[in-house]
Amino acid sequence: MAQNACILSHRQNLHGDLHIPESLCWGLQSTTFSKMAASITGLLKPWTPRLFLVRWSRYNPYYLEPEPRKELYNMPETELTTEQKEERELKAVRPIKATTNSTTSSVFNDPVLSKFVNMMMRDGEKILARGILTQTLESLKRKQVEKYHKAPQGKKAEIECNPYAIFHQALENCMPVIGLASIQKGGKFYQVPVPLTDNRRRFLAMKWMITECRDNKNRRTLMYEKLSQELLAAYSKEGNVIKRKHELHKMAESNRAYAHYRWW
Amino acid sequence: MTLHRLFPLRLRQTIAQVRLLHGSGCGHQLEEVAMEPELRKETSVFRTQVNDPACQSERHLGQYYTLPTSHLHTIFPHGLPARYQQQVKTFNEGCVMVRQPALELISYLKAADYSKPAVRYLLYGLKGSGKTMSLCHTIHYCSTQGWLVLHIPDAHLWVKNCKELLPSSYHTSRFDQPIEASNWLRNFRTTNERFLSKIKLRQRYTWTKRESTEKGSPLGELVDMGVSRVKSSSDVVGAVLKELRLQAAETEESEGFRLAVAIDGVNSLWGRTTIKKEDKSPVAPEELTLIHNLRKMIDNNWCGGAVIATLSQTGSLYSPSSAYLPKELLGEEGFDSMDPFIPVPVSNYSEKEFESCYLYYLDRHWLQHPHSESHSPQTCILVWSFLIPYFN
Repeated sequence: MAQNACILSHRQNLHGDLHIPESLCWGLQSTTFSKMAASITGLLKPWTPRLFLVRWSRYNPYYLEPEPRKELYNMPETELTTEQKEERELKAVRPIKATTNSTTSSVFNDPVLSKFVNMMMRDGEKILARGILTQTLESLKRKQVEKYHKAPQGKKAEIECNPYAIFHQALENCMPVIGLASIQKGGKFYQVPVPLTDNRRRFLAMKWMITECRDNKNRRTLMYEKLSQELLAAYSKEGNVIKRKHELHKMAESNRAYAHYRWW
Repeated sequence: MTLHRLFPLRLRQTIAQVRLLHGSGCGHQLEEVAMEPELRKETSVFRTQVNDPACQSERHLGQYYTLPTSHLHTIFPHGLPARYQQQVKTFNEGCVMVRQPALELISYLKAADYSKPAVRYLLYGLKGSGKTMSLCHTIHYCSTQGWLVLHIPDAHLWVKNCKELLPSSYHTSRFDQPIEASNWLRNFRTTNERFLSKIKLRQRYTWTKRESTEKGSPLGELVDMGVSRVKSSSDVVGAVLKELRLQAAETEESEGFRLAVAIDGVNSLWGRTTIKKEDKSPVAPEELTLIHNLRKMIDNNWCGGAVIATLSQTGSLYSPSSAYLPKELLGEEGFDSMDPFIPVPVSNYSEKEFESCYLYYLDRHWLQHPHSESHSPQTCILVWSFLIPYFN
C-alpha cells in the first residue's frame, strides 16, 4: 500500500503541474499580466489580483507614485503649472502605490538619504545604519561649526555648516559622468564608454563611498568618523572616492575608440 | 506667557498633549501638528552679561551666561558632562543656562550659617534633566567666592572597572585604588592651586619606613607626593580629606576657608560594586579606602562648609532604570547616612527655557535646517525631545 502511494505521488509529480516555488508563481503571474497591461494601459480598469504580496510585487503601471511632501499639497490653485494641474486631476481618479515604511511626510525626510541608509544596511539592521548616518551628519556639523567659530570674520560666510548640503554636494562631486559597459564583439569583450542614467550615477557614487569607508579605514576608527572625513574631502573635491571617479573617466577616455560598439 | 509669542495656539495644544503623554509614560511620538504660517516673532533675550553667579537672580532665569575660558580649565578639569564638553569645543565658548534649582542652591549657600555643622544638599531628578550642570553652576559660584572645592566628578567610576586593586597598607581589610586616586589628586591640584601653599598639615604622616610628611608642611607637598607615589595615593587622599575637614572649622579671621564637597553620583557610596577580589568574591563599598574616606566627609560632624551631592541612575550599578527618587537610589543605609538633607528637585525644561535654548542654538549656527514659515523644525524638536535638556 505504501509502495502504491509512492508511485501515485510520483506520477502526480510527473504528470501534474510543474513544482514551481510559490514566489516564482506570483512573479510569473504578475510579469505576464503586466506585459498585457503595458500594451493596453489606456483602457485599463484598476484591478489587482485577490492576493497581492506587496514586498516583491510589480505594481500594475496604472498605479501612480505617492507624493509624501506636504508643501505641494498646500500650494494654492494659481501657482500650479498646467502639468501639475493635470497630475492632480489624474491623482483624483487613479489608485496610488503604497509607500515604504521609511517614508514620512516630515521636513527631515530625504529620499537620497534613505537610499544611502538602505545601502549601508547589513542583515536588515536599519536602526544601526540610520544611527550611523545620524552620527555622521552630527560629526560633519560639529567640525564645520567649530571651523566657523574659529574663523576670522571675513571667512565665515564661505564655511558651509549645513550637513545635508555638504552630503548632497559631496555625493554630486563623486558621481561619474560617463561609465563603462562590457560589450562582446567578435568573441572578445571590450570596455565601451557609455552614458549612465541618473539612478546609476547616484548608485555608483554611494557604493564607492561606502566601500571606501568600509575597506580603507583603521581598525579602531568608527564608521561615522571615517564617513564624515570622506564626505568632507569629497565636498572639497579631494580624497579617494574622487580619485576613483577620475580613474573611471580616464579609462573611458582611453577607450574612446570603441565608443561606436555601443548600439543604444 | 512666552508661549504666546513664539508658539501659536495649535502648538500650545501640542505642548499640553506632550506633557500628558510624558506623564502617562507612553513613550510614543506625537505626530507633527500641521502648522499654519501665522507667526509673531519677537526677539527674546537669551543671553545675559552677568557672568558672576553671585549676582544672578530670578531676572536671569532661562538666560545663558558665559563661563570664562580660564575658569573652564582651572575649575572644571574633570567636572563637566561629556556632551557638554563636546559642545564647548564646538561652539568655542562655554555657556551655562541659569536655572531655578541652581539659583535655589546658591541662595541657600548664601544664607547658611557656617559655624554650625555642614548642611547637606541633594540634587535629584529624572534622567537628563540637568543635575550635573546645576552642580557645576554651584561649584562655579563657590570657586568665585573663594571656597575650596572638593569635586568628585563621578563617584560611580570609583566602584566599577577597577584595573588595579591593591590591598591597603594602612588597614589590612581594605583595598586601594591607586590610578583613580592619583588622577583625582592631579585634578584637585589644578582646581585649588592657591590653597595648596596656605594650608599647613596638623599631623605627621608616615608612608614608609623612610618617607614621611612632617607636621606644618604645606598641603601642596602632600598632594605632590600622592601624585608621584602612586602606590600610597589612596591614603594621601584620605589624609587630605581629614586635614581639610579639621581645618575648615576655623573662623575666617584666622585664615580659614570654606569647604565645598561636591559629589556627583553619591548613590554609589552605599550600593554594590562590580569589583572582585582575587577569589572572585565581590568587594563591598566600605572595603574601598576612597569610599570609606568619602563617607566620613559626608557625615555632618564638621563645620565651615557644605556638602552638595547629586543622585545619578545613569552610571549606577544594580538599580532599576526608572528609579530617580532619593529613597529608591540611596537605599536604606544611604538614606540614613544622608539624613537630614535638603532635597533640591531638578525638572525638565519649561517652555521659556526651551525657547531660550532654541535661540541660543540658532545664534551659534547649530540648527541648520532651513526654517520655513510654518515652524515645522521647531515643532519637531519640541515634540521629539520631550523638553529633556539632554536631548536638546
